[in-house]
Amino acid sequence: MRSKRQEQIFAFLRHRLPLFSSLLLMLLFFMPINSVQINFFRPAIGVICVYYWRLNRPSLFGWLSAFCIGFIIDIYSSSPLGINTLLMLGLVGAVGWLCRYFQTSSFSVRWLIFSLAALAFTLSKWLLLMLYFTCWLPISEIMVGYFSTVMFYPLIAAFNAWLAHKFLPPENINEQ
Amino acid sequence: MKQRKVWLIQFGEIKDFFRRLFVVILFVVSFLSIFLTRVDSLIVSAVDKVIIDATGPIMQVIEFPARAIHRVYTYFYDISHIYADNQQLRDENKQMMILQNKVRTLEVENQLLSRLLNYIPPAEATFVSAQIIAESGDNFTHLLLVYIGDNIVEKGQVVVGEESVIGRVDTVGNKYAKIILITDINSKIPVVVERTRARGILSGNNTAMPQLIFTRSNADIQAGDLIVTSGVGGIFPAGLPIGFVNTVHNDGTVDVEPIADISRLEYVRIVDYGLSHNENFLNEFTESNTNAQ
Repeated sequence: MRSKRQEQIFAFLRHRLPLFSSLLLMLLFFMPINSVQINFFRPAIGVICVYYWRLNRPSLFGWLSAFCIGFIIDIYSSSPLGINTLLMLGLVGAVGWLCRYFQTSSFSVRWLIFSLAALAFTLSKWLLLMLYFTCWLPISEIMVGYFSTVMFYPLIAAFNAWLAHKFLPPENINEQ
Repeated sequence: MKQRKVWLIQFGEIKDFFRRLFVVILFVVSFLSIFLTRVDSLIVSAVDKVIIDATGPIMQVIEFPARAIHRVYTYFYDISHIYADNQQLRDENKQMMILQNKVRTLEVENQLLSRLLNYIPPAEATFVSAQIIAESGDNFTHLLLVYIGDNIVEKGQVVVGEESVIGRVDTVGNKYAKIILITDINSKIPVVVERTRARGILSGNNTAMPQLIFTRSNADIQAGDLIVTSGVGGIFPAGLPIGFVNTVHNDGTVDVEPIADISRLEYVRIVDYGLSHNENFLNEFTESNTNAQ
């Protein structure tokens, strides 16, 4: 029998689960791989998580959650503070608009939409960084990272779906 | 009853207004952060330090099993290459013995000449070892997060791998420090081609091979040339090896392959040459070179 206080704590944690799990996954993918070459294959876990949770559980993943994720990416990279938060906010806005149309669509459609959203995110970041540093940044390595992100989407989405089914109250949407 | 409904609608509108305002504030904060980073604000570095110190312990826990797996892999890799490595080390040892005798002679000669000139040598460099616990999470940046413990480390200090420069300290927290690798776009190091003494700046471009820029158009640079720090700018001492020239393109750009094999590194050395306070000078030097170009 849980006390009222415990219930409140559990409810708080349940509501923050998408944010906390996303942050943990991101930190997991910051693990040292010890190779510059393999580093280019690092997927953008933050983008996957923001897209997934905003599309499937918009009530549990708002603007502030996306801001936090962008902020941590900014801190753990040498890109200027604010670039990733800005782009994550943009992504949340775009996905919020998209979920009106694609919330109940099949997984493959969502994956396709994700590939386009991630492409827009990657190219925007590339452009912003070039403007900031006023120099040309090679696109090939960045595109390798983009393809890796798209390939990792099913894996991360499956993990997030498992989390949602296990710990979150059901929502009337086609979650997968 | 009717009036209550009106109040409810108004409350909903106010709530909606504040929600929108909050989103606008988040966007403004993001833009402001970019601006503050551009002007190198103290607020940004303070926030950076706090977050690194707060999330560092989590990274250390996550890194532990990954490091264990890497050690097992390295162990079996080393065993499979043990014969070839042994042969190579024997050859190198022979060469080193010859060099050692030469170095001894030169050292004595150097001491005698220094005494004749009343030369006061600079203070010896000190270093601390730091464990790598995280790498940057995307392919737009190349940096490491290291655990420095209670050691005192300063922004701008040189970071050395097994035998060559791998980067410099960027942000220092209480227990952790962020290191910008030489391949990162933020990295600009004054260098010299050892063979011809042609000067330039080694500029990271987020690829595995940084580029040599601001060299003279007629500079004699060939593939295989050793690139060492020039000491100009006062951040890095002169003569530290960085990499070898990989390719000299027709348009004059030069790709440099770093000597350091980051895949083998678990620890790095942060070296204090007593020069790290000169970082502003390096920025001015790079800017003046850009303008001159």
